Amino acid sequence: MTGLLSAIEPVTRAASEGGGGLQFPPIENLVLWPAWFAEGTIFEFNKITFISVFATVVTVILFFIVGRKAKLVPTGLQNLMETSVDFVEKQVIGAAIGPDGMRYLPMLLSMFFFIFITNLFEVIPTSHMPGNARMANPLVLALLALVMYVGVGVKHNGLGYFKAALFPPGVPAALYILVTPIELLSTFIIRPFSLAVRLFANMLAGHILLVTFSVLTITLVAGPLLLKPVALVSFPMLVAFTGFEFMVSFLQAFIFALLTAVYIGGALHPHH
Amino acid sequence: MNAVLAVQAAEKAAEAATNPVIPAVHEMFWGAISFFALWILMRYVCLPPLMRVRAQRDLQVQADREAAAAAEEQAEQVRRDYDATLGEARTEAVRIIEEARAAAEHERGQVVQAAESEVAVERQAAMAELETARAAALEQIKGDVADLAVSAASKVVQSDLDLAANRATVDDYVNRSGGQR
Repeated sequence: MTGLLSAIEPVTRAASEGGGGLQFPPIENLVLWPAWFAEGTIFEFNKITFISVFATVVTVILFFIVGRKAKLVPTGLQNLMETSVDFVEKQVIGAAIGPDGMRYLPMLLSMFFFIFITNLFEVIPTSHMPGNARMANPLVLALLALVMYVGVGVKHNGLGYFKAALFPPGVPAALYILVTPIELLSTFIIRPFSLAVRLFANMLAGHILLVTFSVLTITLVAGPLLLKPVALVSFPMLVAFTGFEFMVSFLQAFIFALLTAVYIGGALHPHH
Repeated sequence: MNAVLAVQAAEKAAEAATNPVIPAVHEMFWGAISFFALWILMRYVCLPPLMRVRAQRDLQVQADREAAAAAEEQAEQVRRDYDATLGEARTEAVRIIEEARAAAEHERGQVVQAAESEVAVERQAAMAELETARAAALEQIKGDVADLAVSAASKVVQSDLDLAANRATVDDYVNRSGGQR
């Protein structure tokens, strides 16, 4: 695991060697992850893919433990997991789809946990890299959302779904020349693209923010005596932003699941 | 020419490799595998036991609520019965008091009437007795008055008057005087 320490290793080395100035890690540290095995193939496994697999394993283990010893009166971990299920049920499905949407609970709950745990790696010590700061996972999930809401729309409304999506009722016929291409782009291209980019960009920005404050703090601590007190400001900021990024991790998982539910809800009832 | 194209392709590949927006295929592959595995396990293994327990709990809560509502209804019924019984008891008590009062009133009337009758009888007897005594006294006084009057008249006229002869006159006068009373 590369981790924050190795990521900022050039910085610490430059600072300790008295190189001076801010030495940010190169962009390759963010993009090029050394392969653990199967390098150069589709099965290539690295830190990012490990985070994805880890998120699945952790979620399954948590639910499996809770499900195996589930009691009528919940306590401890069962309470936590049931609260999260309630949260997705009420705040995601209930708010965006309604009672019809309960059949999508497994998918939306999986989506929420998968994104949240992969995001959490941003603030987990020794890791400090959210799985969704790479475009792969957000794109996979956004494409899945696209397939789901188009599939749901076609299943429940037949080809009328496309008619309702591309030719919104109440619009004068002449305006369809303008509206239909916009709806086509917006519904089938921009929606999934914005879903993916929102998650990816937020997590990447958060990661860069934390790296920036880490680099700043290390440079200030290792720098001239006059600048050392400034670290008393930058370090608390780093801690505060770490807490903030924890919140962002949760928020982005919630937003992704909620928007997916909104799109599915819209596909279920395209005329509403 | 081919060398130039190869260099350009290599440059493009390098650029793609360092562009954070372009997704890595192997990361997409593992991401998809991981997510679909999670989805399937969540759907068929992880979530059902939890949902079963929640459904049982909902049923239990529903049953407890119904039992509580039934108990509340029962308690309300008991309270209504108690109130009704209390009302009946109060009505009965009022009725008994009224009956007792009426009986007492009736009894008092009878006692008073009996007492008045007894008093009337006794008074009548007393009056009769009194009348008898008065008549006896009058009879007795009539003789004494005649004697006294004859005696007094004898002294007035200084001659012995015949008592027997004048007694009838005196008695007649006394009788007339008594009759005038």
